[in-house]
Amino acid sequence: MGAICLVLAAWIVWQTSQVPQRLVANEPGPRFFPYVSAAGIAVFAILSMIFDAPKENQKGVKPYLDKAGWIRLVVIIAEAVLFALGMQFIGFWLTAMIGMFVFIITLKGQKKINLIFAVLLCVGLGSLCYFGFTRGFHIPLPKGTLWDAIGIAMP
Amino acid sequence: MLQSYIQALGILLQPANFLVMYVCALVGCVLGAIPGLSGGLGITLILPMTFAMSTEISFAMLVGMYVGGVSGSFIAAVLVGIPGSASSIGTCYDGYPMTKKGQAAKALSIGITGSFIGTFVSIIVAMLCSGAIADIALKLGPWEYFSLCLMAITMVVGLSNGSIFKGLLSAFIGFFLAMIGADKVTNQLRFTFGNTNLYGGINMVCLLMGTFALQQVATAYAKGQQDMPPVDTSSLKGFGLTIKDFISNAKTIIVSLVIGLFIGFLPGMGSGISNLIAYGQAKKMDKHPEKFGTGYEPGVWATEVSNNAGVGGALIPMISLGIPGDGTTVLLLSAMTIKGLTAGPMFIKTNPVLAALIFLIVLVSAILIFFTELGTKRWFPYLLKAPYHYLFSAIMMICFMGSFSATTSMFSVFLMIGFGLLGVIMDMFGMPMTPLMLSFILGPKIEEYFRTGCSYARGDLTRFITRPISLIFILIAVYSVVGPIITKAIKNRRAAK
Repeated sequence: MGAICLVLAAWIVWQTSQVPQRLVANEPGPRFFPYVSAAGIAVFAILSMIFDAPKENQKGVKPYLDKAGWIRLVVIIAEAVLFALGMQFIGFWLTAMIGMFVFIITLKGQKKINLIFAVLLCVGLGSLCYFGFTRGFHIPLPKGTLWDAIGIAMP
Repeated sequence: MLQSYIQALGILLQPANFLVMYVCALVGCVLGAIPGLSGGLGITLILPMTFAMSTEISFAMLVGMYVGGVSGSFIAAVLVGIPGSASSIGTCYDGYPMTKKGQAAKALSIGITGSFIGTFVSIIVAMLCSGAIADIALKLGPWEYFSLCLMAITMVVGLSNGSIFKGLLSAFIGFFLAMIGADKVTNQLRFTFGNTNLYGGINMVCLLMGTFALQQVATAYAKGQQDMPPVDTSSLKGFGLTIKDFISNAKTIIVSLVIGLFIGFLPGMGSGISNLIAYGQAKKMDKHPEKFGTGYEPGVWATEVSNNAGVGGALIPMISLGIPGDGTTVLLLSAMTIKGLTAGPMFIKTNPVLAALIFLIVLVSAILIFFTELGTKRWFPYLLKAPYHYLFSAIMMICFMGSFSATTSMFSVFLMIGFGLLGVIMDMFGMPMTPLMLSFILGPKIEEYFRTGCSYARGDLTRFITRPISLIFILIAVYSVVGPIITKAIKNRRAAK
């Protein structure tokens, strides 16, 4: 973690040096606080490496996740990314229903569920949220670029 | 003034005004309870509806929604460990562990009562001392505000569990995230890479959704924690608290009330900050600080009293100075402008009935919400009986919806996933999330106050330590970081002897 933070700090310093320095009289300018944040990240990453790492090593490092846990983590993050992509391409309404069903199947693990209830819940809640927001509150949610491309008007 | 209150009460008790206020307070409460949504969102949504309405009914709706939104945000924090809004971040630390220990009903009772006490007392204070308190705020300059923000961060870092260096590292990462977008003084773009979505900075909702909701669902699933905590059905009925609970927590309640009120009335410092400072202070003055974070009652009292006390506090500068106390009062101020009203020192004199009406709406909404929540409290914990896979799937879907609706951009959705990953990485390395959140909220303010302070003082940095209030804040800030290190070193030395 310390090494990653040091790289991040170096990157912030480099990026900050590219920021045009528009100065208002007697004030440090827009580069000052990004430099402060980079310095803080670097200093406390080093201090954490010096003081925290030996203590953690003494205690014995317990793995954060086992192999199956890592696989589960990758699966749920991948599903979140697919949900986001789905929102963009097929719109929120369909994605909410399909995505929620996929989440339910994933999160249930070995438990048995009533599939009909799950489908009804996904359709009901997905539709309620979509139409509640778009029609009730007049807050737009993505309709899906795919439908626009093939000329289908989604509600 | 009393006559104005009697007139205002008459207006408020008109059936249409009363009903609209109650319904909006309930809707606000529900929105506040849902992670990613808030009473602020509700106010935004109903604001266009008020254009054609009378001023009285408009404020009955808007202020009712505001009170309900702040009051309801603890429900998700207690039941599923995800804050309904930033004002309940601290409630997660002890409210959710209480739920895990089977004390959900008691945690809810504390949340309901704490919220009521906070709102009720703060609005009474606001009604009585509005003018005098605003005078104090007027005397503070950017130097004091800078020092106050700095103190807020260091207090939270100093009191967070685990390594202080990891806490400070987390704070500086949050500080860097806050630097993204146009800076507040010269409007210079930083770290935007030409992406227009980043010009206004990173959206708070995306950060909250990612680091709390997505991270929690992902790590809970990855760690195989699939069972929801059991529901304590033994104390679902009745008040759930005894006189002893109030007496033993009286000091925490009073101190949190003062913190919430004070932070609330400082412009731009809302309940998102006060709940964390009050939590830190409660931990500091408690005889058993090690119990905080394990489902300890004073932790919930502190956060819920302080965040709701911010309601009264935030209304003071809004009404008497025309300066919004927090993000939601910005919207209320907009509503005033739409109605052709000018908030400021003359508002109470020129519109005494309306000023009284606003205070009374808060007061009556708080009472109604208190009894409604108490009456329906027994049904809140049943949310936990919803199987994990259904509940968290619905939360995930709402988070995606909330992230998108925050900016109506898909960029926010992908950003939320990115923050979810950041949350997982930080959890992996044992880095606390609160310092990051707090410095993200305060980062732009710290920069703005520091730079304007320098500019006003013509580059003289000593102004930050020569102004007494600023100096006090800075000394507390330094002590918050150095104090625990020195105390620990002394303890180690004594133990070695």
